Amino acid sequence: MRDRLRIAGPSVVLVALVLLVAVAEPKFLSVNALAVVSAQAVPILLLGLGQMFVVLTGGIDLSVAALASLATVILATTIGTLGPLAILITLIALALIGAATGVLIVFGQVPSFVVSLGALGFWSAIALVASGSTTIYISAGYDAIFWLSSWTALGIPLAVWVAVASVAAVYCAMRFSPRGNVFHLVGLGETAALMSGIRTRVVRIGAFALSGLFAGAAGIVLSAQQQSAAPQLADSLLLPAIAAVLVGGCAITGGIGGAWRVLVGALVITVLRVGGSVAGIDPSFQQIVYGVVVIVAVAATLDRSRLSIIK
Amino acid sequence: MTPILELRSVSKKFGPNTVLDDVSISIAPNEVVGLIGENGAGKSTLLKVLAGVHRQDGGQVMMGGREVSFASPTDAADHGIGVVHQEQSLLPNLTVGQNLILGHEGNTASAGFLRRSRIRARAQEMLSVVESTVDPGVLTETLGFAQRQMVEVARAVSGRQVKHPPLLILDEPTSVLEPDDIEVLHRRVSALKEHGSVIFVSHRLDEVLRFSDRVYVLRDGKVVGEQSSSTATESALYQMMIGKGAVEEIYSSERKQDVDRGGKPTLSVRNLTCGDKATDVSLDVHPGEIVSVVGVVDSGREEIARAIFGAVPIESGTVEIGGQCSEPGSPADAVRLGVAYVPAERRIEGMIAGATVAQNIAAVHPVKAGGGRVSSGSRVEQTARVWIERLGIRPANPDVDIARLSGGNQQKAVVAKWILADSLKLLILDHPTRGLDIGAKEDLYAVFRDLSDKGVAILVLADTLDEAIGLGHRVIVMRDGEITGTFDSSPGNPPSKLQLLKKMM
Repeated sequence: MRDRLRIAGPSVVLVALVLLVAVAEPKFLSVNALAVVSAQAVPILLLGLGQMFVVLTGGIDLSVAALASLATVILATTIGTLGPLAILITLIALALIGAATGVLIVFGQVPSFVVSLGALGFWSAIALVASGSTTIYISAGYDAIFWLSSWTALGIPLAVWVAVASVAAVYCAMRFSPRGNVFHLVGLGETAALMSGIRTRVVRIGAFALSGLFAGAAGIVLSAQQQSAAPQLADSLLLPAIAAVLVGGCAITGGIGGAWRVLVGALVITVLRVGGSVAGIDPSFQQIVYGVVVIVAVAATLDRSRLSIIK
Repeated sequence: MTPILELRSVSKKFGPNTVLDDVSISIAPNEVVGLIGENGAGKSTLLKVLAGVHRQDGGQVMMGGREVSFASPTDAADHGIGVVHQEQSLLPNLTVGQNLILGHEGNTASAGFLRRSRIRARAQEMLSVVESTVDPGVLTETLGFAQRQMVEVARAVSGRQVKHPPLLILDEPTSVLEPDDIEVLHRRVSALKEHGSVIFVSHRLDEVLRFSDRVYVLRDGKVVGEQSSSTATESALYQMMIGKGAVEEIYSSERKQDVDRGGKPTLSVRNLTCGDKATDVSLDVHPGEIVSVVGVVDSGREEIARAIFGAVPIESGTVEIGGQCSEPGSPADAVRLGVAYVPAERRIEGMIAGATVAQNIAAVHPVKAGGGRVSSGSRVEQTARVWIERLGIRPANPDVDIARLSGGNQQKAVVAKWILADSLKLLILDHPTRGLDIGAKEDLYAVFRDLSDKGVAILVLADTLDEAIGLGHRVIVMRDGEITGTFDSSPGNPPSKLQLLKKMM
């Protein structure tokens, strides 16, 4: 029953939400509106995709949104001189930062939410200092990222296609590579995985590195969409990104989840967002919606038999 | 005299397994009764019935001549039954006094507040029953193991206003005590006979005989013997405990082939020391040879097995696998050298619950199981089906969650994940058949024999001496972290259990 709820539930919710919004505002189903909605979903989707690896291993990364903000700052400060190379540098830097968080967690044996909460504060401060606490307008070098938000295929921005391609790539890697299910295995039984010859430390550090990498990608897309960088640009996306992972049906206890689920989850969250404005709900109340959605999603999907004590 | 406690034809089933079968025992007032039996004989279940954790399916529990039925552990405690478990159950961050009154504060609490002075007085009184000199005001975590155990005994015997004289149950109380502390415990237990009765559970036969007036022997859920300690001998009790029936067949001992020990050994351990658990251990396992290691708790054999697999650090000494000097730093390294390890803790270390049978079987060698660098679910499934067929895993469905299988089938899947690769050189089996039914055991022994025929070296930490003798070409005995004896175990001329036992104790 719970398995079915996890798999079918999110898609059903998505369809229902889209129909609801379409009834309230029929223009919602036009290509233009869908292009806007999907473009909005991309940063949440990318952050969620990275978060998924960590959640699969049974941890959580609270620093993803702060890292995405930092990524916009790194990109903005390097893109003027380096051009397209800045994209690569941003991605590598963020993957390394994520890996560093993972190393602290794995070798320091500190719970992931503590370390990533610390990382959130630390890297936010770095982003503030590096940017001089202001929004940086990207002019020189904007060509290198401009295509992400402005070029379209079938009326949909390229950033959306890149994000969907990422989802497909992650899915294929997990499905067709012999070791593709290590994140799942570590999340389901870390000790047994270790005793089966899986390098569980490497897997967990890798999950955080991927989380950092996708946070970097989310930052790049945000910069392209807004043609600017700011030390708090992505900070409000933390809750939506975690909500996307959980609403999609990934279990917070680890071991269960996948890329397509995160895609569905990110769309649900985005439609909620857009639908809220269509329905005339004050944007200030949106955080309430995310909070409720997270708790409901976890309550519906949590496998309580695997936890001895709910903390 | 009316017995303080009497069990009449008590039986208990878990699913299809009968764990207690028509068990009748009685304990007289002021008597110490020993209870012995091998792992899985039903000792713990019997204790749990007495402690109110489980309820018997059939039969009666009588106390003081009247039938009782315990709804909960608290209820059992109210009847005067106190249990001191193997694992200590005091809260380390409370004081001794707070621990002693926890759950039955009585008059130490008034108007919702605890009275410190009354706690102290009550605790002092409880401790004096066991002549313990522990200060009730100190934090429990600052006490030594033996002192904490005595606090538990105090709580167990004098915790309640009881309707009956207290019945104290000591579950393996001596297994982690030093000889001096055992002496103290012995004096206290003898003194406690003045107040009530004691059930003493242990696998150390000499201590059971010393502590108890009478001994019950359990085997396969049945009481197979009852002896007075004054007339019983260790070896007679042991014979009863393990049963005399010929059980060699299930180990397919007749298939044991002669091992050529002339060549290079597959595993060569020299002067291995791991912490204070194992010291200066040297052993060889040759291709196709099965070597059993036996020893009681803390003999260090688990440590050795895990060190070879890279799961615990090696302090000094060397491990060579296939002639290659190796110091496996992690299980992953050991796997690459062709070492496999089937752990005793199947649920935690052996299988990945929540993953399917196919995913579990593919967990160690995914490239081999998935048919190459590009793996697909269907290939993994095919591989799983082959092994399900070969080992007779039921249900024969690779997509079912492994946690849904019975213990024996789970263990078969765990074994399959290791033996599907041709690179397997050394298989370490840590209690591979613990808790499995006889059919599954037989199947697994046949698999091990097949592997041995193919030249795989096998090191097995046997669950019972029968298993060690029946399965192994050689039996190594360990005690207190050192090897105390090595015996050849050829089909025609096996070592006797007594010979092994002498080296173990």
